[in-house]
Amino acid sequence: MEGEMMTGNLAAAWGARLADVDYVPAFPITPQTEIVEALAKWCESGAMAARFVTMDSEHSMMTAAGAAAATGARVFTATSSQGLLYALEVLYSVSGWRTPLVLVNVSRALAAPITLEPDHNDVLAARDSGFLQIHAETCQEVLDSILMAYRIAEDERVMLPVIVNLDGFYLSFTREPVIMPDPEQVKKFLPPFRPAHLGFKASAPHALGVAVLGGTPYSYFRHQMHLAAMNALEVHREAAAAFEQLFGRRYDVVEGYRLDDAEDVLVMTNAFASKGKVAVDVARAEGKRVGLLRLRMIRPWPADAIRQALQGRRAVAVLDQNLSPGQGGILFQEIAACLYHEALRPRALCSFIGGLGGKNLSEGEFRAIFEQTEEAGVRGKGIGPILLYTEAEHREMVQLQDIAADVRTS
Amino acid sequence: MDGIDERTAVFVNSPLTGEQLGAQTSLAGRLTTLDLTGIALQQFGKRSAISALLGAVAGRLVGLRQESIREAVARELADLGLAASVIERNQTIALQCYDAIPTVPLETGAPQPIAPAQLQVPMYEPPTRGTARISAAGNSILRETSGWRTFRPVLVPGKCNGCWLCFAYCPDGVISMTKDDRPVIDYAHCKGCQICVHECPTEALVAEREKEGAVAWKAK
Repeated sequence: MEGEMMTGNLAAAWGARLADVDYVPAFPITPQTEIVEALAKWCESGAMAARFVTMDSEHSMMTAAGAAAATGARVFTATSSQGLLYALEVLYSVSGWRTPLVLVNVSRALAAPITLEPDHNDVLAARDSGFLQIHAETCQEVLDSILMAYRIAEDERVMLPVIVNLDGFYLSFTREPVIMPDPEQVKKFLPPFRPAHLGFKASAPHALGVAVLGGTPYSYFRHQMHLAAMNALEVHREAAAAFEQLFGRRYDVVEGYRLDDAEDVLVMTNAFASKGKVAVDVARAEGKRVGLLRLRMIRPWPADAIRQALQGRRAVAVLDQNLSPGQGGILFQEIAACLYHEALRPRALCSFIGGLGGKNLSEGEFRAIFEQTEEAGVRGKGIGPILLYTEAEHREMVQLQDIAADVRTS
Repeated sequence: MDGIDERTAVFVNSPLTGEQLGAQTSLAGRLTTLDLTGIALQQFGKRSAISALLGAVAGRLVGLRQESIREAVARELADLGLAASVIERNQTIALQCYDAIPTVPLETGAPQPIAPAQLQVPMYEPPTRGTARISAAGNSILRETSGWRTFRPVLVPGKCNGCWLCFAYCPDGVISMTKDDRPVIDYAHCKGCQICVHECPTEALVAEREKEGAVAWKAK
């Protein structure tokens, strides 16, 4: 593959630049800051005709983003982790205002304890906010998904904001070859933003996000948001077809890897899916019929695509890079729910939790996953949640605990 | 350093030879070395000016062409707002480093089969252990940072006037004072920041190039 080497963050910044956004309210946070630094540089030099403003927090940043979109501006912003959660209440407002925009989240595990490396508890915390969610595996996909996100978000049948997620460090600060879409082709793909229901003018005032009481209006408007999100499945299909025609790359709501005759399937998302694909190759070389299903679109939930990919399998292992304490893997639950009525649902649905705080997913752990999943498939009963942690890691942890606790006096 | 075995081509920024490093450390792999820090200090006056040099060495090991390295250095350093003459100098020195490194014929082969990992089932522990907290007071002394230094501060006793400024300015508190008001530096925990050298009003503390051999860190 040709193209130039660039980090996921720079690919995200290019997505915003190619989309010709009008306004970027910004606030820094590791590991996304490189995105807003690049945008600041380009806005300052005139390479981008956008207004760049640094805000005092992510809460203000998100409010400014939605407010600007309400005037009809095409808006871009980015955050991570604590920043996303700080903005969380505003996410619900922005989606409720039906003001489309693109928010890039560079996933980072949440405090406490504080850390820097990725997992998905941050972005999944926003899954009920009314924002659509697309999760990218590669730097190319980051750039392409931002362009697709604007097209989907600004479609009359959707009119909802979109989060594009990429893993911190493993994708945000890792260079991969990225082919730059031709700006003239992007103009064909992305028509100008002209929402009929937005745009404040003194000559045409209106009120947005008004108060309602009694339940009837509130339910109506929330139902509309749900229907809009469901429409996004079809709009994504159309956008993906147009994208493939113009740029030669195809993206579906899920990606199947060596699924055709797979008995057992591993389900993953984001950058660590690359490790999963390598593990599939290793297992296949030994004659195991395994495959991988990567979920790309999380909201709306691609239930049909998931059912189609997983029906008839012997066993399915969902590898969640997230943890809901007291329940288990978040994506596991959603997959189980959409498979419940499927006549040909897999015999064993297994839950694994791995990669929390960016913890390594070793070859040995993937082997253990495939082995345990196979056994579960043969028995006909799912297992989990298995909290992946090796004996070597446990020994390392005990050593750290002893240093932290000053074993001599305890 | 996961995944390094005896076939891996490894570069280490060091004045020691590959053989010496292999003997003194537990580093596996086919070791190539070059004193990039020394070159950066000599050619640019800054120990941190090693990015272009590292890139050139890495490029040499994986078989990139000189022209690609030259272009890459220009593109990367352009972002830093450096003068054209500085960028050109970086290119020149980088390519000298490129030439100084022999190519290492890279092996290809099938990966060794790995056994399934031995998984540990997490067990509940009381919060004194199960929470991210440190109750061992002042335990940062267990972490030695001598290997972090490029330069170490050394006392020239005749010039010291006993003013205690070095003690006051040391950000890591590794300087203690004798009864005669003379500094004693704990070299196991000095990180080599040079603030004491910079603040000393009589130039009684001088920076000496650290000798190779200290470990990066070790916990007792």
